[in-house]
Amino acid sequence: MFYRVAQSILLLVGALLAGSAVAANTGDVKTGKLVYERYCLSCHGAQGNGQGEAAEYMSIKPRDYRQGTYKWRSTPSGSLPLDSDLEHTLLNGLYGTYMPTWRALDERSRRDVIAYIKTFSPRFGTEKPQDPIIIPPDPGYSVASVARGDAVYKKYNCAQCHGAGGQGDGPSAHELKDDWGNGLVPYDLTKGHVKCGDKSTDIYRVFMSGLAGTPMPTFADSLSPVDAWDLVHFIQSLSPLYAKNMASGETGGAR
Amino acid sequence: MTRHGSLRVVAQVAIFAIVMFAFISPASAIPAFARKYSLRCTACHESWPVLNDFGRNFRDNGYQLRLGRDDTVTADPGYWPVAIHVAPSYVYKKVTNQATDQGNKDLGSGGVADAGMDLLTAGVLTPNISFLVVPTGFASNGNVHLESYWAYFSRLIKNSDWFNVRVGQFEIDLPASSHRNLELTDSFLLYAYHPSVPGGTNLAGYDMGANQRGVEIVGHDANSLTRYTATIFTAHDSLGSANGFDSPSFYGHLQKYFRFNDGPVSQAEVGLWGALANYPTQYLTNGGVPIAGSGSHLQSSTRYGMEANIWFGPLAAPLHLDLVYGHGSDKKDLFQGTADRSGSFNGGFLEAIWVPRADLMHWSVFGRYDLIRNQTQPLSTAPSNFNDQNQWTVGAVYTIAYSIRDEVALHAEISSDKAKGVGYGGLDQRTDSIMFGVDFVY
Repeated sequence: MFYRVAQSILLLVGALLAGSAVAANTGDVKTGKLVYERYCLSCHGAQGNGQGEAAEYMSIKPRDYRQGTYKWRSTPSGSLPLDSDLEHTLLNGLYGTYMPTWRALDERSRRDVIAYIKTFSPRFGTEKPQDPIIIPPDPGYSVASVARGDAVYKKYNCAQCHGAGGQGDGPSAHELKDDWGNGLVPYDLTKGHVKCGDKSTDIYRVFMSGLAGTPMPTFADSLSPVDAWDLVHFIQSLSPLYAKNMASGETGGAR
Repeated sequence: MTRHGSLRVVAQVAIFAIVMFAFISPASAIPAFARKYSLRCTACHESWPVLNDFGRNFRDNGYQLRLGRDDTVTADPGYWPVAIHVAPSYVYKKVTNQATDQGNKDLGSGGVADAGMDLLTAGVLTPNISFLVVPTGFASNGNVHLESYWAYFSRLIKNSDWFNVRVGQFEIDLPASSHRNLELTDSFLLYAYHPSVPGGTNLAGYDMGANQRGVEIVGHDANSLTRYTATIFTAHDSLGSANGFDSPSFYGHLQKYFRFNDGPVSQAEVGLWGALANYPTQYLTNGGVPIAGSGSHLQSSTRYGMEANIWFGPLAAPLHLDLVYGHGSDKKDLFQGTADRSGSFNGGFLEAIWVPRADLMHWSVFGRYDLIRNQTQPLSTAPSNFNDQNQWTVGAVYTIAYSIRDEVALHAEISSDKAKGVGYGGLDQRTDSIMFGVDFVY
């Protein structure tokens, strides 16, 4: 009897607090608003316009969600991101920026806040994300691949923004602006971490999808998968952290 | 006016004050971590100062977000790792059956409390070495002391989160922090309670809630959902024993969190904890005065128990229940010859924190019920329920402003404590208090 009463009370309290029922894998917008207000609002703003109270003090501005353009996506250039792409950013943060990893949040909170963030852009109501970019298997890091990647880096004039040494100090570095007119500094690839993720596939994906809202374009139409992997390995060779972790004899391309 | 009548009037005033304060406009200032990371207090605190999951993980990681902006070189040059916390408040307190030269009296007194100030300085010195120093005091008596001071070394072995070390004076990893609780007018009975002999003293001053000097090993998974701490420390308020680590004491805590992706319960936690504090019972003396650090014949004061937490509703606006049980015992010799056996007790508390989703984070409603039941009185002739205690506290916090720069809140609470047989002539003693004030950090 006592057990049944206690169970009923727990269920009743829980139902009152949980509000509307949430189906698995579908975020609840109302609850997502609570999550957003607790964690995100100070930077991204109540309107999702990237103009929260902290934004004016940041050199790298928070994303304006209203256009539905996201830097980190698995989808092609111009496409909306998948929910899993947004969760990837929540889980990993963006190194070197004020966007921390929200890995400590529970899955339900992440799911809900993604549902809420999507309400800032009408695109999510009218468009569907395109299929993810297909990433072929990594052929493996090698000195030869790094050397080829160096040539790809030069061929595509990456140094114009990122600099000859990858330190983000190319001739155009100080002229870059994002779609909102905010000044940008190209990423310093020698810092040891890559902003959108350190995995090989994360770097490959950036070449193919571009970074929406920034001057970093997609090279999907011009860069072959082979060249792209060589470029990935060259970028990795610039990172002292990555090069240090490679097996001896495989780091000859590191500068 | 009767006791109940006067309390009713004060309660009405408090409710009126809460309603009035709810219309005060926001203010702003500069707290340390919020300014450093551009996050509101709400990112780390379920309801300030109670940590949420993100805050607990941030603390376990040595106050690092690990995104290349943590240490003094890479952080924003404008960052200065200092925050100030003050809580001016009105407190009315009434104690019954107080022994006085004029006989048995009920004493009631109120006024704006002589508030002190916490200077909270914390940050990251260099990647994976962080610190916290908290000078506190500054009240009218002029006293200032370091409540906390520690250095924390993260990821000492193979870049693993499972081995971090804290050195200094710090709060041990309690089931519920007594420095981060919402209640301001009471204390956790379980943490500070010791069995006692009527009119006698107990050498063991061990208050689990007090900060201890020692070394703590902390380990946790990436999200701090499984975590442990193991601490060796010098027992609180001991004069010190003649050991390499004087008054050697130990504490351990193991926690496991469980998350539920659907349903009314969003998270649950279970934990085990235990403490063994050793106090010297004999000292060398000089002029009859015990010499610090010369103690011997260590006797133990043990505490152990378990905890369970459950969160209903979304973790962003939960109803959080925290149930803690503990058993304690103090060796006979700690009672300085006035006891004829060791003393033991059972105790615990149930705490509830509710953050209503209708007005996220502006309101927090909280309550706690503490219980102490003596199991074995150290003096066999003492009444079996001597100093059994019941305490309850309920209150509410209305946060006027929370930003990346400050937090200011209005706070009201009522508390009542009843202890068996400790008042005048062995009568029960009841302590009632009511408090409302402003609590701000910037």
